Amino acid sequence: MKDILANLDKAFESRIRLGIMSVLMINDSADFITLRELIDVSDGNLASHLRTLEEAGYISIEKRFINKKPNTSYSATPKGSEAFRNHLANLEKLIYRQ
Amino acid sequence: MEKTSQHLEDLKTIKSIMEQSSRFLSLSGLSGISAGLFAIAGAIAARLIIKGSVTNAWGYSKAISQTESEGNTIALLLLTAGLVLVLAVSSALFFSYRKARKSGQKIWTPASKRLIINLSIPLAAGGLFILLTLGQLPGSIIAAATLIFYGLALVNAGKFTFGEIYWLGIMEIVTGLLCLAIPGYAFVFWVSGFGILHMGYGTFMYFRYR
Repeated sequence: MKDILANLDKAFESRIRLGIMSVLMINDSADFITLRELIDVSDGNLASHLRTLEEAGYISIEKRFINKKPNTSYSATPKGSEAFRNHLANLEKLIYRQ
Repeated sequence: MEKTSQHLEDLKTIKSIMEQSSRFLSLSGLSGISAGLFAIAGAIAARLIIKGSVTNAWGYSKAISQTESEGNTIALLLLTAGLVLVLAVSSALFFSYRKARKSGQKIWTPASKRLIINLSIPLAAGGLFILLTLGQLPGSIIAAATLIFYGLALVNAGKFTFGEIYWLGIMEIVTGLLCLAIPGYAFVFWVSGFGILHMGYGTFMYFRYR
């Protein structure tokens, strides 16, 4: 039990970061506004959690222009996908062990 | 234990966010019921228009030439079809908007856009097929084509909204094929496919996901 708890990825302790990864696991990419609407969170809050995930190497950021408007799109890196799957497996173990 | 319920909550969050971001779940059962009602009303109107034109051509319409009255019939039928389409789509939008607002969700999302695009491709192909062959095919084949193309559109859209839409699509396709296989009952099959199947589906969904 202790081992698994210790193994739980700190990056996914926050439910907002968990939400971001959930979106990026089944969509190739998502932009800031889509993420904000799906997760229902303030701009500043979302930006800081996105930065944490980026620093962990779990998501990649692509900035581009659509109709001359800046658009930032986020996607999960292979490392992030693997970490998320591990996290899910660990959550499952914790729940079924009870 | 405190921790377990927290982990369960985490999993629930993941599940709900994944669903919301990939599927459009605000499609209301009521829109199925209203689409079915409009379809039946349209079918009855079309039947009356066709019957009316036949008596006209045979009976007391010497002044109007045959081709002219035929053109009028087709124009009236197209008008009916267009009206049914507009009413059915706007009622679907209305009920979906209402359902989305009630559950605090947006209606214009990447998921709903994908749903509309994937629904529209087979549907537009079917619509063009029917418009381009206008007047060349018997009514029973047109009725079957509308059912089959619509069914294919639903099967295609099933991945982007409730999975049940997929099965509604399969049933529409089967109804369309039966319409071809059993001649003489095009009207019955068309009303079953667009009217009764829609209403049955709508009622089922309404009570299942209320």
